[in-house]
Amino acid sequence: MSANGAPKFREDILQKISNAPGVSGGEEAIRSILAEYARENVDSLEVDPMGSLVARIDPAPARPRAGAKSGRGSRNGGRRGPHVMLCAHMDEVGLMVTAVEKEGRLRFRRVGGIDPRILPGQVFRIGAEGIRGVVGALPPHLTPRAERDKVTPADDLYLDIGARSREEAEERVPVGTYAVFDTTYEAWGTTRKGKAFDDRAGCAVLASLIQRRPPVPVTAVWSVQEEVGLRGAAAAARRVQPDLAIVLEGTASGESPGAPPDEQYPFMGKGPALTVHDRTLMVHARLLDRIEETAKRHKVPTQWKRPGVGGTDAGRIAISGAGVPSAVVSVVCRYIHAPAAFLDVRDAQRTVTLIWHTLETLRKEWP
Amino acid sequence: MSPKPSLDSLLPALSEAYGPPGREEGIRAALRRALRGMGTVREDALGNLHLHLPGKGKRLLLTAHMDAPGLIVTRVDASGLARLTLLGPMPAADWIGAVVSLDGSARGVVGWDRPRDAKETREIEPEALYLETGLGAKQAPKKIEVGTVGALLDRAERLGDLWCGGNLDNRAGCAAVVAALSGVRGLRNDLHVVFAAQSDLGARGAGTSAFGLQPDVAVVLDVAFVGESRGTGDIALGKGPCLGLKEEGYLPHPRALDLAKRAAKAARVPHQWLIRESGGSDARAVRASRAGVPTALVAIPARKTGGPRVLVNANDLEQTVKLLRHIVTTPYTGEKGSR
Amino acid sequence: MVSNVGRTSAEWLRYITSLPGVPGQEEAVARELLKAFGSVADRVEQDRMGSVYAWIQGDGKPPRPRALLAAHMDKIGFLVRAVEPGGYLRVTEVGGFDSRTLPGKEVLVHSSPPMVAVFATRPPHLQKKGEADRPIQLEDLYLDTGRPEREVKRKAPVGTMVTLRQSPIELLGDRLAAPGMDDRAGVVVMLRALELLASKRPSWDVVAVATVEEEFGAVCLGARTAAENLSPDLGIAIDVSHGDMPGAREGDTVPLGSGPALSIGGNIHPVVLEGLKRSAKALSMPYRVEPCPTGSGTDAMDIQISSSGVPTAVIGIPCRYMHTGVETVEPRDVDRCAHLLAHYLSELSPEWRAVEVLK
Repeated sequence: MSANGAPKFREDILQKISNAPGVSGGEEAIRSILAEYARENVDSLEVDPMGSLVARIDPAPARPRAGAKSGRGSRNGGRRGPHVMLCAHMDEVGLMVTAVEKEGRLRFRRVGGIDPRILPGQVFRIGAEGIRGVVGALPPHLTPRAERDKVTPADDLYLDIGARSREEAEERVPVGTYAVFDTTYEAWGTTRKGKAFDDRAGCAVLASLIQRRPPVPVTAVWSVQEEVGLRGAAAAARRVQPDLAIVLEGTASGESPGAPPDEQYPFMGKGPALTVHDRTLMVHARLLDRIEETAKRHKVPTQWKRPGVGGTDAGRIAISGAGVPSAVVSVVCRYIHAPAAFLDVRDAQRTVTLIWHTLETLRKEWP
Repeated sequence: MSPKPSLDSLLPALSEAYGPPGREEGIRAALRRALRGMGTVREDALGNLHLHLPGKGKRLLLTAHMDAPGLIVTRVDASGLARLTLLGPMPAADWIGAVVSLDGSARGVVGWDRPRDAKETREIEPEALYLETGLGAKQAPKKIEVGTVGALLDRAERLGDLWCGGNLDNRAGCAAVVAALSGVRGLRNDLHVVFAAQSDLGARGAGTSAFGLQPDVAVVLDVAFVGESRGTGDIALGKGPCLGLKEEGYLPHPRALDLAKRAAKAARVPHQWLIRESGGSDARAVRASRAGVPTALVAIPARKTGGPRVLVNANDLEQTVKLLRHIVTTPYTGEKGSR
Repeated sequence: MVSNVGRTSAEWLRYITSLPGVPGQEEAVARELLKAFGSVADRVEQDRMGSVYAWIQGDGKPPRPRALLAAHMDKIGFLVRAVEPGGYLRVTEVGGFDSRTLPGKEVLVHSSPPMVAVFATRPPHLQKKGEADRPIQLEDLYLDTGRPEREVKRKAPVGTMVTLRQSPIELLGDRLAAPGMDDRAGVVVMLRALELLASKRPSWDVVAVATVEEEFGAVCLGARTAAENLSPDLGIAIDVSHGDMPGAREGDTVPLGSGPALSIGGNIHPVVLEGLKRSAKALSMPYRVEPCPTGSGTDAMDIQISSSGVPTAVIGIPCRYMHTGVETVEPRDVDRCAHLLAHYLSELSPEWRAVEVLK
């Protein structure tokens, strides 16, 4: 797929960060991979007090203009265009071990939204070492008939790592350790399979975008703790104080066999999804117009994300400080918040392309 | 100078302006017209409308939200009906029969997939609502895009002692603020007025406004519905404006409440107490901004009809205007080291 | 005025829990805390939202980094919402009581002077069949002051504060039960820690904040506004943790007497947690790690995301029967939390900052 003058999507980054663990509150592994990539390309790079990775990158020196001032972009400065915050969250949904029982079983709680029905029989990787654990389920033979139709509450489930005693389990897995789905990244055709595409897809898109100096001053934020209340972006937005923000997400596909066709959107493979409204945000109308225009001009196919569902970091960024015009652009993924998600790698490239050209548009046409 | 705006002209004009949450351009334009000659008006990043009336004394923020119930198209079905999700807290059932303006242009009427055997009509999910635009199965999908935002098309009318209208929450508050400010003299505070955006989506605009302005004290004006103060001690129409004592995320700051109480006393405006166990106004966001803003809540009592239109009492509105005038002309004494 | 010097944690607990103060009406407890902290801190003040600040000046070179400690001084209670014919009072809660624990409890209606009242109950003889099988809701309850309607109306207008009337109970093993251990016990931890820090100066400035309105609404108002006001380089909340009780799940509670409960999870900065563990080990003090998968539910939630982000930690005091009139703690745990806090703060390196500059 041609990048259409924009930077190329870095699938190698997606593969690495999809495979690495990073449950909300424990994003170190993702952060260090991204920091390695970012270090080369950015002007400054820091980890904020919550653990978000914040990178500033100045635009390529424009053709010199009389009276052009240096310094960060600003609404009034105009010469360098607005200061744009691009944000993708590093964290994924997962489990935290909350107690080690005397038989060596691990009790856990979910971190972020996981459907309890998908847990029994699942395999998890626990902690930095990636110790395997299985969520046991009583075989149907031993399940009383009346129980078979019931959903086992997540609180009744446990992880089995094969330990024979509390001591043995505690030594390997202290209380507070996180666990992630045990899924490995794979590719066939344009389909990519992996865990945590919500929002490693956005993280990789963002890492791809900063390979080149952008048309406007950009602060790239890989945020923490989105899945537990959009927390990292709240603090990061106050630190960055951008003129506007675009959040890059991996969002849920609406495809579902049997449903009426008008309900089945957005689609994997049909281009970046644009948000008008979700539970946390009304997208800034003028910013959305700029993105739509850009997509038309550069022939990037786009589709709408379903209004009224979900929420993203943009909700927090928009109401941070005295207010920040904000938008969300997403790569459509099937089966997010579950062990294995799908995405179409062409959509990832299209998202890079759309955002890159939107930044060019914004340099000329903002506010 | 334009003629002094009266409630009788303000209520119809402001109530019919288009302004669902996040898409308040219509009501902003209407307010700009109503505020002409009063001072410099500016719009901020979130779409809040600001008016500064300089005065000596503490910085007082007076804010009323200007957004009104909205809905948003999620898809157009095979029969050409636009399917919807709601913007703001107005329940799905109340939308049935409402005439809606889409992005200020196309129109439609809200209907409901009434189940064949339904006797119980109170539990209506937004998914069961549709917007009939009359465009038909062929044209509708082409003309109506996903994400199109709609608002109640409704102009407030006078019915005896009452005002009746679909957008009176909180255009009644906006009208009261404009009426209170027109021709006001003797400001005893440095007055910042904000008509806030996106209140119905969770007090978004008022919070960012307060962050930007850093006021010493704030008064939030909204409406409160009969029945929201559950059990004994409910509010009623015709008994004067309410002072907020508790709602979700809001308790009054003693000094701010004192300002409102002193003003009410001086104006001889009777008031009632508002205790909302669930739901709330912009007050929670204003008071929690930056290092905190002592905040009081004034609410105009209103009554729901079970449909899109709500009722307020004309005398309550007059009393509210009087109260607001006294608030802006009563000096805020502040809180030095204690509250 | 009672002398503060040499007060034990148990004495402090008895005194501080006795002070009235529900969310939004913390003036009385704030006044007393200004005095109490005034006797140990370099400087005390109150912010515009009512929170009390007590400063210990560090001995590092200025500009010194700043550590914010937060324990909330509000305790759950009620406000009068209506006076019914006959002088009965209906109340609305500020902070969430378990209404099943209220029937028959004595309360103080904070008129001046305060009036005693009881949450009225219906004797079994007069109950309808099956009534006793249904848990009692706050709406079912009313307060009876035993005074005439006219007097009640005059003395207790709508908005008057109501608190449980329950003096501290000494249980076996030095355990102490009282309403408002959540989080007056945390306030006592701060007082004791400041006493220790006054003689063993840290390099950082320390400001202990007794916050308002933790128990009300989705936002911890006092913590959030104080953190915005002070822009700290570190924030530590001291609050109660659920003590072990029959029926509670392992991993959700910590045993009474087991020392500080140190939260782990996204709300906690890992470097601060490691430092606290190091201090506990240096003091040979027992502690527990308390998992907080999605948040700590304390002032630290709001401190962490205030201004441009603050590294935070939570120290928990094991406490049974939270949000009842018999919240129970061991003063020994309070002592330990104070010593842990003081040790950690005095060991803080003047150079440490949470922001890590990679390039």
